Amino acid sequence: MDVDMDVPMYDAVSEQLTPTISEDNTTVNNGSDDYQGIDFKPGSSGIADNKSATPLQLSSTNINDLDKWIEQLSRCEMLSEDDVARLCRMAVDVVQFEENVKPINVPVTICGDVHGQFHDLMELFKIGGPCPDTNYLFMGDYVDRGYYSVETVSYLVAMKIRYQHRITILRGNHESRQITQVYGFYDECLRKYGSANVWKMFTDLFDYFPITALVDNKIFCLHGGLSPMIETIDQVRELNRVQEVPHEGPMCDLLWSDPDDRGGWGISPRGAGFTFGQDISEQFNHTNNLTLVARAHQLVMEGYAWSHQQNVVTIFSAPNYCYRCGNQAAIMEVDENNNRQFLQYDPSVRPGEPTVTRKTPDYFL
Amino acid sequence: MSAVATENNNENANDQTNGNDVYPLALLMDELKHDDISNRVEAMKKLDTIALALGPERTRDELIPFLTEVAQDDEDEVFAVLADELGNFVPYVGGPEHATILLPALEILASTEETLVRDKAVASLNNIACELSEQQILNDFIPLIEHLAGADWFSSKVSACGLFKSVIVRIKDDILRKNLLALYLQLVQDDTPMVKRAAAKNLPTLIDLLRQNPDLSNDVDWDFISNMFQKIINDSQDSVKFLAVDCLIAILKFFNTKNDDVHFKDLLTSAVKLSTDEAWRVRYMAADKFDTLASQFAGNNEYLTELLPPFLGLCEDNESDVRKAIANEIPGFAKLFKDHQPNVILTKILPAVQNLSMDENEIVRAALALKVTNLVELMSKEEAIENLLPILLNMLKDEFPDVRLNIIANLKVVNDVIGIDLLSDSLLPAITELANDINWRVRMAIIEYIPILAEHLGVQFFNQQLSDLCLSWLWDPVFSIREAAVKNLRRLTEIFGPEWCRNEIISRLLKSDSQLLENFIYRFTLLSALTALIPVVSEETVTEQILPFVKHLADDAVPNIRFNVAKSYAVIIEVLSSNKEQYDEVINGSILPSLKSLCDDSDVDVRYFSNQSLEKCNKLLNITN
Repeated sequence: MDVDMDVPMYDAVSEQLTPTISEDNTTVNNGSDDYQGIDFKPGSSGIADNKSATPLQLSSTNINDLDKWIEQLSRCEMLSEDDVARLCRMAVDVVQFEENVKPINVPVTICGDVHGQFHDLMELFKIGGPCPDTNYLFMGDYVDRGYYSVETVSYLVAMKIRYQHRITILRGNHESRQITQVYGFYDECLRKYGSANVWKMFTDLFDYFPITALVDNKIFCLHGGLSPMIETIDQVRELNRVQEVPHEGPMCDLLWSDPDDRGGWGISPRGAGFTFGQDISEQFNHTNNLTLVARAHQLVMEGYAWSHQQNVVTIFSAPNYCYRCGNQAAIMEVDENNNRQFLQYDPSVRPGEPTVTRKTPDYFL
Repeated sequence: MSAVATENNNENANDQTNGNDVYPLALLMDELKHDDISNRVEAMKKLDTIALALGPERTRDELIPFLTEVAQDDEDEVFAVLADELGNFVPYVGGPEHATILLPALEILASTEETLVRDKAVASLNNIACELSEQQILNDFIPLIEHLAGADWFSSKVSACGLFKSVIVRIKDDILRKNLLALYLQLVQDDTPMVKRAAAKNLPTLIDLLRQNPDLSNDVDWDFISNMFQKIINDSQDSVKFLAVDCLIAILKFFNTKNDDVHFKDLLTSAVKLSTDEAWRVRYMAADKFDTLASQFAGNNEYLTELLPPFLGLCEDNESDVRKAIANEIPGFAKLFKDHQPNVILTKILPAVQNLSMDENEIVRAALALKVTNLVELMSKEEAIENLLPILLNMLKDEFPDVRLNIIANLKVVNDVIGIDLLSDSLLPAITELANDINWRVRMAIIEYIPILAEHLGVQFFNQQLSDLCLSWLWDPVFSIREAAVKNLRRLTEIFGPEWCRNEIISRLLKSDSQLLENFIYRFTLLSALTALIPVVSEETVTEQILPFVKHLADDAVPNIRFNVAKSYAVIIEVLSSNKEQYDEVINGSILPSLKSLCDDSDVDVRYFSNQSLEKCNKLLNITN
């Protein structure tokens, strides 16, 4: 598989479970399924205190607000804290009713990690077409690493509420309280809003995100990979997903595992999830009558990479990841006849830089 | 009596504000002692509000002394804001007659080590100088300059260089001005390159000011300036020497304004010297300004001819950046020869262009491509065909897309002189290749030129050669290209007319490959293309050709198509509503029923956009529900 081992390994080592969050004196209770950070108790933001019993029906006021927010966010201007609170409350009433395995119709465009690279997300829509005209499925990791996690996740969540049937956002391993405290989202919220409130709201919201999707009963989409405890898709449907991403068990594996050249199950160098071989993928696709497992989670230099003889595809949608990896990004268009087409793209052109010409150094500055 | 009364009133007003306004000053002082630097910066930004609250007198007596103290003891970020604020402070201290009270604080700031602070202080000082009387300039401002210029440390001297421009033409006394220029000459000869650079950089401004006030300057002034220029052009440091180019241009302009060409021979020697300097930065600067420099000698053929060898030297410079700079200047320079020595263009300049067009560096070629087409105006049609055309044709085949793009973008002038036909054989392959470039932004760039080309080429050429290409962009894998292709078709229709669109575009679009249309992306693109054309084609075309296609997509399996059909309906109604009696059957018998059934669609977004659309239609048709 055409994987750049450098960065995933870096991921693997540093994203090992239970880092100690020293600055806040918040330590993580290793080994327990429940995350017990003192200041950061799940649900403390209150966004899910008044959950609705029925899916959110948008009123025209809601639609006006959402359209206004989307317009504002598309200029990479973040929302006020109050607006984020309203956004997250509305979002809970949308995503909580989605199934663990969200059924999705074709045509749809499937995307991988975005990681706060807001301008590259806008580039993605330039390549694939704007939502709602194009349907999108994002497979997690909207935050951390890039400089605009707040704007990126706010934008995607606002789009999700506004066009519930046109866009699906799954949960990635970075949509977690623990990981975001180490890889940037927590710090970014603190820096941009002056407090951790917005971070609390979003991480509370992440608990409700669906974890997998099934495109036309043929393509199983999720952030990480397979789990030794999951043989059928129905088993995923039975999980209780509304919680912080656990350190082990099937839900953890779905968000953390990676395909590997070695057969069978292997221990993941990431410290969470497993590696799985071609035999596992083939068996899973056969059992569940699938043609493909589509996942994200790993940097691939071409933006997408096949593995396990086209049983698994990795899609990565953050070009020049971390602003230094030099990789292309890709998205996968699946049309209504289940034909697939990959579109690769490069980082967006930043304002002030020339469009086509290479920059000439200015020796006299 | 009344004067006293006013006085009293003022005092009352002051007294009243006094009570409240111990507060703002105390608050400012508190904030300025805050540990967090961002608080101190914020506090500084509110300085004008505080000054306004205090009134001029207390601002002078309390705030300014306090700020002068602050200016000696804080961090650069705070200084930068303070330096900025003080520049607008004249009204707050009670007008120009009190403005000199601001100078001490700014003098301190103009001596700091941080460039940003110094620059802001200098800008503020120049601001204030505009408002000072001649007496204040003499008594306060010039001593300040002298003080800064005489300091030990380079930072003060650098700031001093930036202040002369505010006073030089306000001194009517020749002796005083001579003293100032002598002081400036000292700065030009300073030991440190930083000061020399600052002096050299500000010299052109000073010369320009003297030029604009011709009655002021005399030969003594010129002696000083000549002396300064000689020091700069002969400096051992490249970073000083290259500033001589701008000085030289200013000096030439000065004498051209005076119609005085006594010194031109010497100045020409300087121009040649700079263009052939051993330091490439100096040559770059000369190349970058070559047109402006050479045009100062316009009218004197002998001098212009002497500039040719250095020009050709720059065209063959070892440094690609120098070649890039001179490539930009070629048409401007060549134009100087047009009237009196037109053969120079063909025999000397064009060979150099030919070489640059095959330069090893693509950036050089791209820079040349931007301007080279302008040369066509400098020669006869036959000469252009024989000599320039081959170069252009070659550049259209360049391996670097930018070169081709730049040529294509600037073809208009070529077309005006020699007609496009001669280019078409090379133009088409160039366009086709760019149209298929792997980088979508290159494809985008060529699409954006198509309407311009279409205008020059005419409809016949276009139909034969380019319409296929324009349609093919609709099926590009990248959305932005498809979107641009749609806009392009609309622009073309605006150029060639609705009849052309109907025959050449719409009829072909409607015959699109049915296999292609199995993918919703292309049905969507086709729908967008036809929708975009609705406002620019005839009503018959809309009802007879576009509407049937739109309507047939109303029961498309993909909801995204259906809600775009709903949007299209509104566009159609908008066109037909001006004639709604004539199209009653189409509107009420066909469009509205279809739109209403979309309002009951199973998909929520289809329902939403259909309702939006219906509302819009009802408004257009004056139907009230």
